[in-house]
Amino acid sequence: MSVERSEVPTDGDLVHRAKRGDEFAFGQLVERHQTASYAVALSVTGRHEDAEDAAQDSFLVALQRLNECRSPERFAGWLMTIVRNRSRNLVRRESLRHTDQVPPGVQSLVPTPDRVAETSELRGRLKEALAALPEVQRQIVLLHDLEGWKHREIADRLELPSGTVRSHLHFARKALRASLGGLPVGPDLQRKIL
Amino acid sequence: MRDEVRDEADYAGELDLDDELAQALALLDPALQDPNYWFRFRSWVLTSATAELARRRLMHQLTVGDVMSSWARGVVSTAALAAALAGLLLVRGPGAPAPQPVGVEGLIVSEVEGETMPSLIPPETNGAVAFASEIF
Repeated sequence: MSVERSEVPTDGDLVHRAKRGDEFAFGQLVERHQTASYAVALSVTGRHEDAEDAAQDSFLVALQRLNECRSPERFAGWLMTIVRNRSRNLVRRESLRHTDQVPPGVQSLVPTPDRVAETSELRGRLKEALAALPEVQRQIVLLHDLEGWKHREIADRLELPSGTVRSHLHFARKALRASLGGLPVGPDLQRKIL
Repeated sequence: MRDEVRDEADYAGELDLDDELAQALALLDPALQDPNYWFRFRSWVLTSATAELARRRLMHQLTVGDVMSSWARGVVSTAALAAALAGLLLVRGPGAPAPQPVGVEGLIVSEVEGETMPSLIPPETNGAVAFASEIF
């Protein structure tokens, strides 16, 4: 009886290959985890530029320290720890710098000024609502509702009990709904941003 | 208060994906307004990682034999150079003038024409070290 091997390499496979300098494998790891890394970084820094810097920097740090990743199959959790630490360091370093966030791509798509204003306003309110949450709740709600991670994945990768993750998610959503009471959602939101 | 003590099972069902909230949170995705954002993100990381990946490839390709031979190359060349120098000294043979020790004072005045100042070092010191300083 032969065991059919999955076509999709696991994180562990990719880590082993990346350790040997396989650029394609490392690229796959980046592709798999870039949005989650950004979401975690954003939940800590609260600013796009800082989140981008921290997330990108974390991949480079992870590559340099790849030999320290003792459980390659749990690469995502290990990476998220690096992202959180790098993000916190960045916040500490740049705590004196106050510049407003400019969403990326706004200039490149040349949208109408009205749409830019509306989207920026919505994003601003969303950021304010998220900023009011504790860091762990921001991470969980972004990973769950933005990245589509399951409770158990979040629990595993953030090293939290599953019940705690569910509880945080519940309270984070409740707080966000309360803060975004006047925010257009559903079709109204789609009409505004698309 | 009751919310804080709810059992994990109580959250089941209400914690499925919240479409409306997910749509609102999607505003934070940089790719919403720049479809190539994640491609550029990945490219930046890979470009920055080029040197480290190359180093890892090199380290992986190196065998124990490579390390030993690179070590041996250095040792052998140094030993060969030392042997050549020793051989050269031996070949010079006894006919060559032996190097004569020269005193510092003699070395200083050896090519100076005319009289030089007499030695400030009294002869009885006979090779002992002396220090002198001038005050202007």
